Amino acid sequence: MSKVVRQIGFDEGAYVAREKEDVVVGNEIIRHRLSSRVIHWSVGVSFFACLVTGLPVWTPVFAWMGDLVGGLSVCRVIHPFIGLLFAAASLAMAVQWWGEMKMTKEERGWVGPKLLEYLRDAANHDKIGKYNGGQKVYFYTSKLSALGLLVSGVVLWFPTSFPQLLRVFAILLHDVTFILFAVSLVFHVYLAAVAEPGTLNSMTRGTVSKAWARIHHPKWYRELMGLEK
Amino acid sequence: MSAQSLEIRRSSASVWGSSSGMRSVPTVAKYIDTSTCIGCKACEVACQEWNDLPPLSTQQVGTYQTMPTLDAGFWNLIRFDEREVEGGLMWLMRKDQCMHCAEPGCLEACPAPGAIVQYANGIVDVNQDNCIGCGYCETGCPFDVPRFSAKTGKMAKCTLCVDRVSVGLEPACIKACPTGCLHFGSKEDMVGLGSLRVDQLKKDGFTTAALYDPQGVGGTGVVTVLAHADHPEWYGLSRDPHVPLGVRFWKKWLRPLGFLAIAAAVVGAFGHHLYHGNKGHLDPGPIGPDETKG
Repeated sequence: MSKVVRQIGFDEGAYVAREKEDVVVGNEIIRHRLSSRVIHWSVGVSFFACLVTGLPVWTPVFAWMGDLVGGLSVCRVIHPFIGLLFAAASLAMAVQWWGEMKMTKEERGWVGPKLLEYLRDAANHDKIGKYNGGQKVYFYTSKLSALGLLVSGVVLWFPTSFPQLLRVFAILLHDVTFILFAVSLVFHVYLAAVAEPGTLNSMTRGTVSKAWARIHHPKWYRELMGLEK
Repeated sequence: MSAQSLEIRRSSASVWGSSSGMRSVPTVAKYIDTSTCIGCKACEVACQEWNDLPPLSTQQVGTYQTMPTLDAGFWNLIRFDEREVEGGLMWLMRKDQCMHCAEPGCLEACPAPGAIVQYANGIVDVNQDNCIGCGYCETGCPFDVPRFSAKTGKMAKCTLCVDRVSVGLEPACIKACPTGCLHFGSKEDMVGLGSLRVDQLKKDGFTTAALYDPQGVGGTGVVTVLAHADHPEWYGLSRDPHVPLGVRFWKKWLRPLGFLAIAAAVVGAFGHHLYHGNKGHLDPGPIGPDETKG
């Protein structure tokens, strides 16, 4: 990174976050570097576009969404292509985050009671590193869903090329994976954008405050501050 | 094409049809007697002519059959099957087309509001204006009838000549049949005609003759006399056709329950916030090197 002249108002955090993460800059910590954020929002935006073009086909309750893009037949044509973008972005995300998402035995408990404990504010955060078990579970859920949506989506895209039984199975798989993903996405968005102030910033500017890191990811915080033995 | 003069009993992806119930319209049906069909294919030609469907190249499939299967531009196909039965050769011919089910799987599977309709008289029709060409109807059909047209990007199948029927004419195929193996009228009358013919066939030694009007789909708008009804598969018909269970489960359970699950998640998240407020709204205290607890 080339040296820049620090002027008044220079946003050093955002500048460092272009290429680095897991570093302390003043009172902030870089949580997600630019490439991670671009990948994340590619997944987010493409999924949102899939939602707008897919929900009206799912049920007429959302027919008005189809009207936004020019009707149901437009949805039928563009939804698969946007789906491909979503799958590609999800693949990039899987590659980018894979190394950080290894789960310890303890973290597997997040699939069940630990998640509820966490939501009740009763969990002990002390050992939580950069990602907690819930975030890791969500990572795998979303990637598995993306895979399921892609595989079933290809069958639904070209229905006449596949046997009937497979098409029925594809409809069911597309729905199950969508529902699974949508339910977990609701909590992902809620926790990140509403319930935990300061979190959204990590996906926009890329940084979080030291206080935030200490509350939510104490082990990660201690490591970065050189406090972990 | 929707025929506006006809009331709609059921409509795809809609809660109700438009039927006011004011008119009492008899359910219509087509009668096909496979035992008197001579395989002349006049019905195939009449169908192409009336519906302005251009001729397609025929394909040799080893029999007199015009092509292997139905097509978006070919809605009426006489299937030729040769069978050896009790030492003799049976030449089985069946008019393959949309069966106009009383409980149509195509309509159930269709996600586009009003793209598949069932008129008050029982005719099941693809409304081209609303069809999005997704092919779900083909997935829901127990008889593998609807076909995707690459030309229009939409699905097509036999309309039971709804345009003719709605003005009091019989379907084109019926009009063209020279042997009288095709008839058209109220479902009641056609079932009656079928029973008469089945009795005749039984007297003639076809002890397993029966009328094919499968109840798994609520009965069909095309009733077929089969001399060998114990083997409907010889005619390319399934023994107990029904809408694929997966499609039914998807529409009746998975979709509404999934919808509720997502809605519950939204409500749950909102409720969580009302009750717990922000997570991590704790005062972190002084941040220093002596810090050990989170």
